[in-house]
Amino acid sequence: MAVEAETLHTGVTGRTGAALLATLQSMGEGVMLLAAACRRIRFRQTDRERIAAQLVRVGTDTVPIAATLSLFVGMVLVVQSADQLRNVSQSVLGPIVGLAMTKEMGPVMMGFLLAGRTGSSIAAELGSMTVYEEIGALRTMDIDPVRFLVAPRVVAAAIALPVLVLYADFVGILGGAAVVAVDPGIQLSVPEYFSRMVEWVKLSDVLVGLVKGFAFGVVAAVVPCTFGLRTRGGAEGIAASTTSAVVWSFVWILILDFLIIRLSIAVL
Amino acid sequence: MSDRGTHGVAVVLDGIHKRYGTQEVLAGVDLEVHPGELLGILGQSGQGKSVLLRQIVGLERPDSGTISVGGIPLERYLAIPAGEKPFRIAMVFQGSALLGSLTVAENVALRLREHRQANPEEIAATVRRALEQVELSGVESKLPAEISGGMRKRAAIARALAIDPELILYDEPTADLDPILTEQIGTLIARIRQSRGSTQIIVTHNLGLARTIADRIAVLDGGRIVECAPPAALEASGNPLTREFLRAAGLGK
Repeated sequence: MAVEAETLHTGVTGRTGAALLATLQSMGEGVMLLAAACRRIRFRQTDRERIAAQLVRVGTDTVPIAATLSLFVGMVLVVQSADQLRNVSQSVLGPIVGLAMTKEMGPVMMGFLLAGRTGSSIAAELGSMTVYEEIGALRTMDIDPVRFLVAPRVVAAAIALPVLVLYADFVGILGGAAVVAVDPGIQLSVPEYFSRMVEWVKLSDVLVGLVKGFAFGVVAAVVPCTFGLRTRGGAEGIAASTTSAVVWSFVWILILDFLIIRLSIAVL
Repeated sequence: MSDRGTHGVAVVLDGIHKRYGTQEVLAGVDLEVHPGELLGILGQSGQGKSVLLRQIVGLERPDSGTISVGGIPLERYLAIPAGEKPFRIAMVFQGSALLGSLTVAENVALRLREHRQANPEEIAATVRRALEQVELSGVESKLPAEISGGMRKRAAIARALAIDPELILYDEPTADLDPILTEQIGTLIARIRQSRGSTQIIVTHNLGLARTIADRIAVLDGGRIVECAPPAALEASGNPLTREFLRAAGLGK
């Protein structure tokens, strides 16, 4: 049987099918894990402590790098757009930066940051705990690993990412304003930059960004937890889980990004 | 620690089979461990000793066969909520399996704290006593990575003792330890039997340790228990694997 299965996986069709099955399996496991984590969310003293610890890891520790990224993205948006608009009108720079940051750049950038930075460490941590039997030890102590490890990470990421998105929006917009203020090639005042932005950016745009932040936060926690808990083998297995967790988090963030923005355009 | 854990429970395995893919690791294990007994399970690497322990503690399910602990089918026991279990089972893993992000004291207190089985003062006192019992006072606030391998093993035993278990399973408790630490761990396990009367099952390939502390030694070979006898009787065994272990331990020809 093993030989037959191996033979099936050697051709292009076989390999494609095997990869598709593996993808579907990990997707299924991720959905099941999310459902299990949601059922096990509690707010007892020990649960609150664990969520708080994860909030520090996911949120507070991410703030400096989030500020740096957002600042430069906002600045680049202004420089690039101003260059493209130099023969038209630079008065739309405010709306461009405002809409790009709130609806797209803020959530996606923070999602990627969380998936790359915190997600990789979650996958490595849970992978290591699986390989070195710490998960088994929890089970023998009647401690549910999903409640103990997964639920606090999902809750923390789902809370922290929308906040990080707001923060990124704010810093990115300020970064754009700083360029508007000092770049001699931009024929626009800072008050005009902000007043046009306020005219164009609606509360619903900010809300769409926050919804994305919530969804990306869940993805950036559940995907690494899924790969971490299914880790097999030693150091190589942990490395493979970490890589897969980051790659698949990015993929799912982009897929959800498309679905949410499409849905928001249809609904709002 | 209360008086709950002063009596061990019986463990009965009947026809346990376990297969991974095409490899049959356990091929019909029958074994009876008496209450308060200290049983050593001896076997070569890769013979399924650890797999057998994982079946007993419920981390894996056998493909066929039944396991009962304290007269209760294991499946039924596992389904009982933590605070209502009639007795407790603890396992000491080969690599200690202490949670790396928690201090030694937090590791030892973990189950009591999670299941709210005592107030914080009682938990602190239990942790202190458990660490004293394994002669590990003074490292409460250290992380597992900050203590030696031998200390981690003892901390893992303290974590097991903190819940007052009627059954303790040890997976290679002396693997990777030098002879002096091996003797210390052996003495500690023997002392637990003296002081608490818990049933203990030790998986090892260290015959020297097993014959020093165990009441009986079961030899696992080819997925089956091929022999189970007191250490003295085992020395007269005609089983080829047992003879090989005896010869390697300098106890036979």
